[in-house]
Amino acid sequence: MTDPEFFNGIIKVLFVCVIITAAYIITTKNLISLVRAYALQSLALVLIALSLYWYEGAGILLAIAGITLIFKVIVIPYFISNVQEKIRIKRDIEFHFLSPTSSLLISLALMLLVYITLSRIVGINAVTGSAESPFFFGAVIGISLLLMGMMVTFSRKKAITKVLGYLSMENGVLLFGLFVTELPFIIEFLIIIDLVILILLTTILTVGIDSTLEEYHNRLHRFYLWEEQEESP
Amino acid sequence: MILLLYALCAVLALVLIAVSRTHRQLNSIAVGLGLFFCAITGYILLYIPVPVETFTVGSGYFFIDHLGLFEVLIVAVIFVLAAIYARGYVENLLASRELETGSLKIFYATWCLLELVIVLAFYSDNLALFWILAEMTTIMSAMLVAILSAKENIDAALKYIFVASVAMLIAFVGLIFLFEIARSTLGTGTLNWTILMQHASAFPPGMLIAAFTLIFIGFAAKSGIFPFHTWLPEAHAKAPSAVSAVLSGVLLNVGIYGIIRVFAIVHQTPAFTSITPLILLFGIFSIAIAAFSMLPEKNLKKLIAFSSIENMGILLVGLAIATPLAIFWVIFHVMAHSFTKASLFLSAGILHRQYRSHLSADAPDDIRDVFRFQPLAAWGLIIGGLAIIGMPPFMVFFSKFFILFSLGSVSPLVLALVLVIIFIATAALGYFVITAFTRTTPPGEPVDLVPYQTPISMKVPIVILLALILVLGILFPAAGSSFIDHIVTELMFS
Repeated sequence: MTDPEFFNGIIKVLFVCVIITAAYIITTKNLISLVRAYALQSLALVLIALSLYWYEGAGILLAIAGITLIFKVIVIPYFISNVQEKIRIKRDIEFHFLSPTSSLLISLALMLLVYITLSRIVGINAVTGSAESPFFFGAVIGISLLLMGMMVTFSRKKAITKVLGYLSMENGVLLFGLFVTELPFIIEFLIIIDLVILILLTTILTVGIDSTLEEYHNRLHRFYLWEEQEESP
Repeated sequence: MILLLYALCAVLALVLIAVSRTHRQLNSIAVGLGLFFCAITGYILLYIPVPVETFTVGSGYFFIDHLGLFEVLIVAVIFVLAAIYARGYVENLLASRELETGSLKIFYATWCLLELVIVLAFYSDNLALFWILAEMTTIMSAMLVAILSAKENIDAALKYIFVASVAMLIAFVGLIFLFEIARSTLGTGTLNWTILMQHASAFPPGMLIAAFTLIFIGFAAKSGIFPFHTWLPEAHAKAPSAVSAVLSGVLLNVGIYGIIRVFAIVHQTPAFTSITPLILLFGIFSIAIAAFSMLPEKNLKKLIAFSSIENMGILLVGLAIATPLAIFWVIFHVMAHSFTKASLFLSAGILHRQYRSHLSADAPDDIRDVFRFQPLAAWGLIIGGLAIIGMPPFMVFFSKFFILFSLGSVSPLVLALVLVIIFIATAALGYFVITAFTRTTPPGEPVDLVPYQTPISMKVPIVILLALILVLGILFPAAGSSFIDHIVTELMFS
């Protein structure tokens, strides 16, 4: 059943998917396709978790794939695109310090750096085995994804793009965790809950910052996010 | 099971908040919850032998040890006093339309939840659980910052969330490293702090350095250490003053607490000698950046916020020395700084109400005739300011003195450097207070200020806090110092 060659092939294809979506998130100006790219990236993570399950057979991987599918592929992208539609921001063309091309080049350099650093750490301690195994590559891509997401968070101006950068960072952590070790399920689950609350809050606040304040409260009323209560102080 | 009691109280408070109607009721609930937390913590302190491992789920997610109890004690005291203060303060926010009536319930519900989450964070044995709860505190406190209906507040809150959460994600990678280290040495992976402490000496130093550095980045951002301090002055200055007191007095401790816990693990391995220069460097940089930012600062609350960064730096310096004496005074300084800084923010809140600029939150406060309008707040700031710069006989004097004393025995040169920087920070604070408080309107000229009638509920917490730092400075009970000795032993520094 578990043919290592086949497993390696599939994992490599999925890694390429993750990297392409990450590169797309870094360079695109269109906010709608940004959210779609994120959903796609999460889907690739789900598939990676599934193929790991198929290879290793640990039940926890199935659970992780499940909650990732529900929250990161469906709920969060749906919520964000919903909000985007309502506040009518379609494009984020303001790049802070980096142009798309230079950020791509920097992320390439980052990947290389992560590869060298990790192989040194792993080389000293020999934890994950040989440097050629998909597990090592998974760790490298995880950390690179984290750094690329961080770049998005700090180089874009619109808060909603920053949120997507943060989400992409979180995907990187998940990928790293998947390949390096197995955390207890309750911890993974709590992290997802934490993420959902964080995204809810930042998106609501983003509505305020990415639009003018006068319209902000009206919008919150329209979303039914804010209740009006008449109270006698 | 005692932790369930905390949770039950908080849930009860939330239910009451949902059904209550007026601001007074809401505020009384927040005060009541604080008092309950004080009572439970006092009960544990007096009658239950710590450390206890209660409410075990699986491999022990929660426990109560001396350090956790100590931090929770600070949390409970500051939350009660800040809630009392909020009664008058929030009333005024409502009157000046800075806070919408509709957001009142959200404000108090978040307040109570934040209190619960912080307490649980300090009692968590599992480092990953602590990480999650620390993230929760970021979310809750950012909400309290953003609650005022001003664009600057949302801006500050978002900056806070992004800087802190991004760094915390890096810390989580560090935790995964730590988990893997435990798995490769112990057989089963764990992030349980007590277990990690027992087996720490067997961990490979190289991996441990990597893990610690990553975790340090995250928790350093949480406690406003350079270079992740950028969110701190914004968030602390823009938040309502009752919230600022909590942010500075309690939330910064969460980050330092995490660093202390992980450092205690590293301290038992040879890796510790290559970690300490890192901590020392970040500590000194934090003090320096705070001191030089304080010099030109014209906004009182921002000035106090920068002073928090300075004190976090001092804590790191103390931690880097890592002798039992230094650790003892680091723990003491955590408490001293929390109480002093809370009192400063509460006093600054009164002045902010009186002199705040109606045009922009970033404008410098135009403080005039301070002794005529707000004598108590002025004296609160002067005494609190003297206390925070380390004047005897206040609490901070002792901790600063002994931390610097220990630093001197490590390296006199570094001591001289740190002393100079601390002197700059002190001078900045003194300069601000002297120029602001001596500014008076010449007699005969009309004064266009309406005096702000400070309610008694805003004065009492300041007086209590100042009395506390004075009394605890003059006669710190013997039980207290043996309690801190227990902490140092449990962290295995002695």
